[in-house]
This record gives sequence, C-alpha cells and structure tokens, in this order.
Amino acid sequence: MPIDQALMAIAIAAYVLGALALVVYFFSREEWLRNFGAALAIAGCVAQFAQLIARFELTGVWPLLNLYGSLSLFAAMSVAIFIGFAFRYNLWFAGGFLLAIAAIALAYGTTWNEGTMPPVPSLQSYWAKIHVPIVVSSYAAFLVSFVFSGIYLLKYYAERAFATRALAAGATGGAAAATAGNAPAAAANLGFDISLGVRNDTPAIDAATAGGNPVAGWLAALPSLPALDTIVYRAVAIGLPLISIGIITGAMWAKEAWGAYWQWDPKETAALASWIIYLMYMHLHTRHGWRGLRTSWVSVIGFASIVFCYLGVNIWISGLHSYKT
Amino acid sequence: MTAVRNLYAEFVRTFGNVLFAVSLFVVWGILTLIGVVVDQGQDPSAYFAAYSAPIARAIVRLSFDNVYHSPWYVGIIGLILLSLTVCTFKRVIPARLPPLRAVKIDAMPLHAFLDVAGDPAAVRAQVAAFFRKRGWQLRERLLGGAEWTFCDKHNWARRGVLIAHLGFVIVAAGTTLYWARGFSGQVPIVTGRSVTIPQTKALIRLNRFRYTIDPIATKSGIVYQPIDYVSHVTVVGKSGIPKNEVVRVNHPIDIDGTLYYQASYGFGIRFAVTHDGKPVPALADRTYLEGETLDLPGSARSIVYQRFVPTVDRATGAPTADPRVNNPAAILTVQADGGALGTALVPMRSWIDVGGGWRVTPARYVLYSGFQYRYDPGIPLVGIGAFVLLAGLIISFYLLPARLYVRVDPAPVGARVGVAATTVKGYDLYENEFAQLVVQLRGATQ
Ligand code: HEM
Repeated sequence: MPIDQALMAIAIAAYVLGALALVVYFFSREEWLRNFGAALAIAGCVAQFAQLIARFELTGVWPLLNLYGSLSLFAAMSVAIFIGFAFRYNLWFAGGFLLAIAAIALAYGTTWNEGTMPPVPSLQSYWAKIHVPIVVSSYAAFLVSFVFSGIYLLKYYAERAFATRALAAGATGGAAAATAGNAPAAAANLGFDISLGVRNDTPAIDAATAGGNPVAGWLAALPSLPALDTIVYRAVAIGLPLISIGIITGAMWAKEAWGAYWQWDPKETAALASWIIYLMYMHLHTRHGWRGLRTSWVSVIGFASIVFCYLGVNIWISGLHSYKT
Repeated sequence: MTAVRNLYAEFVRTFGNVLFAVSLFVVWGILTLIGVVVDQGQDPSAYFAAYSAPIARAIVRLSFDNVYHSPWYVGIIGLILLSLTVCTFKRVIPARLPPLRAVKIDAMPLHAFLDVAGDPAAVRAQVAAFFRKRGWQLRERLLGGAEWTFCDKHNWARRGVLIAHLGFVIVAAGTTLYWARGFSGQVPIVTGRSVTIPQTKALIRLNRFRYTIDPIATKSGIVYQPIDYVSHVTVVGKSGIPKNEVVRVNHPIDIDGTLYYQASYGFGIRFAVTHDGKPVPALADRTYLEGETLDLPGSARSIVYQRFVPTVDRATGAPTADPRVNNPAAILTVQADGGALGTALVPMRSWIDVGGGWRVTPARYVLYSGFQYRYDPGIPLVGIGAFVLLAGLIISFYLLPARLYVRVDPAPVGARVGVAATTVKGYDLYENEFAQLVVQLRGATQ
C-alpha cells in the first residue's frame, strides 16, 4: 500500500476508535478513556497532515484541488481546531461527535479519489495554495461551532422538558418543583474550565440530577448554557474572519484567472450567503435577548449553508468552481 | 412640523435597530441564494423548460433570472447601507463609546466590594497602582461629589465595529464606481486576424493560439484534462507602438489600464460554397464562429454552424469526447425561411447538399481565442474596503474592551472598594476574568 493510503487508513482508524473512546468517556467519565481518545484524535490529525504532505511529495500536485484532498483537509482542520478548544477549555467530552463527523467526511472523501490529475489551467496558481486551505479551515471552524450549538440546543430543550415534567409532577402533589429552584449546581463535573461560566441556569436539570435522574446527571455535567454559547461564539469568531479572508483571496484569484474579482459564480455566491448568515449570528449575538438559543439556531442554519456551499454546489450545481468540470 | 419630526424619529428608530438590520440580512441572503439555485442570465424559454409555467413566469417577471442586477438586489444593499449609517451614528457610537459616568455598582451584574484597612486616600492610590500595573488605562473624575476611577482595557478597540462598518461602505463605493465608470466585454479573435476593442480602441492581433490537453485514465474512464491555453498576440495601445505579448490563464495583460484575460477558445470554420456547381468566392473569405449563420444569397436558405467536433470515431462515425483534433467535423443545421430542416454531422472537406442547387463544404478550421477584458476603476477601493472590513472583524472578535468603574469610599473601619465591570459583549464572556481580578485585587490590598 502506498504511504499516503496507509496514512489515510491510519487516520480513519484513529478517528473511529477515538470517537468510540470519547463517546464511552462521555457516559462513563473514565479518565483513561478521555486520555486515550485525545491521544487518538491527535494521532489521527498528525497522520492526516502527514498524508497530505506525502501525497504532495509523491505526485507533485497540490493535493487540495479535488474533493478527496479538500475533505481530507477539512477533517484534519476540524480535528485540529477542536483539539485546540478541547485543551483550552477542557471539552473532550464532545470529541466523540466531532471525530465521528471527521471520520465520515474522510470516508466519503475517499470515494472522490480519482488518482493523480494535473490541475486545469485556472487552478495552476499560487492562489490555490492560499485560498483553498483558508476556506476549508473556515468550514472546519464552523463545524466546531455547529457541534457546540447542537449540544447547547440539546441541553436547552432538555431543561425545558425537565421543567415541564417537574411542573406536572408539582401539580399532582409532588414536591419536585419546589426543590428545583434551590437544588445544588451540577454535582458531577467533567472537569472543564470553570472560566466558562458557572451560573446555574438549568435549575430543572439540576433538580432532577439531585433526584437521581441519570439522564439529567449527564446533562448537568455539560458546561452551562452561557459557557456553551461562548464556545460557539469563539468558534464562529475563528470561522468568520477566515471565510472573509477566503472570499477576499478567492476574489483576488478570480481577478487573475477569469478577469473579474466577482462573477456571481454559484460557489462564491453560496459562500457570500454563508457569510451573511454568520454576520447575522454576530449581530444577533450583540443583543442580550437573542444570545444563546436563537444564535445557536442561526449557527445550525449557518452550518447547513456551509454544507450546501461546500458539497451541494460542487456536486449538484456546475460552475467555474465545480470539481466535476 | 411635528408630523415630519415623528416620521424622522420613526425612521431613526427602525433603521437604527440591529434586528431590522438582521432582517435586511435575511432578505439579502435569500436573494443571494436565489441566484445560486436559479441559473442566471438564461433565455426566458430556458426557465419555462426547467420549471412549471407559474414559477418560470415569476422568475422572469421578478428579474430572478438576473437577480444580482435587479432592483431588489440594488435596493436591499441600499437599505443595508442606510441602516448601517443610521445605526452607526445612533446606536453603535453611543453604545461603544459611552461617556464616563457614575453607575450603581451593586446594580451591575459583575461587581464586587472589598473592605480594606487603611486611609481611603492611600487605598485609592494602592488600587490605582494595582490596575495601572496590569495595563489598565486610568481616568479619574469627580462625579456627584464622589471620586471615581475609570479603568479601560483595549479602549481603542471599541472602534472595531466602526472599522468593519466603514470597510463595508468602502467596498460598496468601489462596486458602485465600477457600475458608473467601468466596463467589460468578451471578444473572440481568429488566428491571423485583428480586432479593435470598442471601448478602448486598443488593437489586438492573434498571431497564434496553442492549447494542451492530456488524456488521463481515472477510475471513471478517460478524462481529457486541459493543461494550458496560450495566446500569442500583438497589441497596439494608446502609444501606437505595437508590442508582442503572451496571454495565458492566470496571466492577463494590461493595455492602458484595461486587463485582457484568456477566457476561452474555439474553432472557426471557413466554408466553400457552390451554386449549381460554380464556386461562390464571396462567401469563402469569412470565418464563422460556433452559433453563427451563413446566409446563402438570393435564397431563403441558410446554414447554422452549431458546434465543432474535434474527433469523430472512424469506426462508428459518431462524435467522441476527445477535444484534441483528430478527424474533425462540424455540426450544421440547414434552415429554410428561418425554420430548421435538419441537422447533420459533416466531416471536414466533405459537403452537404442544402437544396436549390447549393452545396456547402466546411473547408478549413481555424482556432480562435476568446478574450475577456475589463476596466474596473473600483478595484483599489474594493481592495482597501475588504482589508478594512477584515481588520474591523478581527479587532471586534478578538479584543474585548472592558471598563471598570471603581470607587473607594470611607468605611467605619478603613475603606470600602467597589468595582463593577462592563464589556462591549455583555457579561458572560468576562465573568471569570473579573472574578480573578477581584481575587488579585483583594490579595494586593490586604
Ligand atoms: C455587511 C455589513 C456589516 C458588517 C460587516 C458589520 C459588522 C459588525 C461587527 C463586526 C460588529 C461587532 C460584533 C461584536 O462585537 O461581536 C457589529 C456590530 C454591530 N453592528 Fe454591524 N455590520 C454590518 C452591518 C450592519 C448594519 C446594516 C447595521 C445597522 C443596523 C449594523 C449595526 C451593528 C450594531 C448595532 C452592532 C453592535 C454594536 C454594539 O453592540 O456595541 N451593522 N457589526
């Protein structure tokens, strides 16, 4: 097996195994599983970058110009950004979801491996080496923000469900609702950084945890809602400048290759639409009443637009950017 | 008068609201996406073929076939600029650059009180030294009889939003400049011929065009990968001096500020026409490009040159996907009175009988090179605007301007230090840092 394919296989295996370890860690809270999962995530990420370098060395062709190479960088950058966040804010518990998505992206990417192709004339430019990695990294940052907005929404709606249940139990004479307000804050903690907010904003989950409900126990162990919101914000704050730089460098490249910095090509237009959605996110985030629940939904919609921009446009809509033409 | 004033107040209230701006972004986003999903710039018939009649009618009537130049698109950008301006002056500046004023410390979400032994004036000096040492910018004011100390971090970065907004305005100005003063166009030039560009009067002669295509075996079959397109041209600009240049993809040439790009290529055809067996030399001189029509003089008949087929399979006689020339042919449609009679694949140098004694032979093919040209005086502005916008985004997202309101009051024993904090992004992001700061302040004063 050529070295690049071997490295790819190692990366996929590391992600799959790492995802399993971190999912089990999420439920068992066994320290060693977290360390094992983290080590696998790092190993997979290193293998991926090595794979990209090996492919470039072997073929002499910049490896990011087809969906195979670009999905591979997407997975690698997603994991790399996540590792940064996980170390900084102790967020390994979410690694299972992220590594699983990275493994799927990689496995899907391998189906687009067409072998070595020299690039078409418009792609023979130093801009390919600048623009593509930046854009793909912005997608990766948005994936990280998507994963944490998903966790935010999960915790938010679970809190609502527990509150409704507590209210119903209270109405039938139970005392659960009465204890909800003064229950101790999440007893068990997965060890994330307290800097990310310690406000007790999920009283119903905390009450249910105190009452011995295991599901509530898991949820209580997640960071608080403002902390999750802050993580989403920080990931978007990486993605939005990156996609802005990506659009700007893309425009500079387009000016050189096609004669106009902006052609309303489906790809650049879809990127503009995503940019607008994350701009909405940032503006809504400046409003107190919109921060959290609503901005998390905007982040989810934003990531859907990124998937459309990344894969949808390439696969369904042919244009100057489509890898198929 | 009051009616006008009310209207103005209402306008400022609406356009100065961030949620209104976000609603404009929603409309902007949707219009932008319409242009991704609906093919742009097609003939109306293409929409009726692709969509049901009511949708196709709506697309054409609402200008969704050219959405980025529609009144809606220009209008929404105009509204965004208006809203951005109103919002910047009425909301962003007052909110981001607030005056130094007294606050109710215990009413602020991030606040702390410390009781410190010692003379209030000495404690005040100690507290001031503490913050100064940690890089806070201090300003002291006497407000309402109390001495306040205001401490700022990254105060200058409060202008990040203004910078981002200014960047957007500059980009918009640059694109408007192109609309007002710029132009662009496309021009095919046949090998050996010259063309004068109408807007610039520059003369371009194509001496030679060369393309390289490599067949590459992939899992899904042979792919013909274009490797290079190169045009060798002689250009005459304002100076009147001819110059030889090479135009390649990613390597445009600049003639008097207008840029010329290698955009496409194709095959022109010279036809040999006979009528009742006699050559018609008047028709032999012109090169027809794909899509052009050859009218047969004095007859209702014509030939449309549809497409060049570089390689016809010698065994089957069918066109292949190979774009390299190796047994070429032309696809020709015979028309009479504007209606199509039939379409045929005609190999080079063989003929087609058009009827009425006319015979048409695709005699020779000539390569032509398609150039795109563009004069865009807005580019420097768009470029500057993009970088200003980016700088604004980075300043806004990565620097967190925070302000501390500090008061030292005499207490029954010693002094009472009150500290409250605000940031431009609310309180959550600063909760822990504030807690740490208070702990350190306690350590430093006790
Ligand atoms: C496409 C154009 C725009 C860009 C690039 C842009 C950019 C930004 C950025 C980067 C921020 C700072 C966010 C943060 O601190 O986290 C911001 C805030 C803000 N923007 Fe915009 N904006 C645009 C359009 C608008 C428009 C049209 C309005 C008018 C309603 C507006 C009003 C505001 C307001 C009020 C804030 C919050 C200021 C604060 O809370 O201190 N923006 N904008």
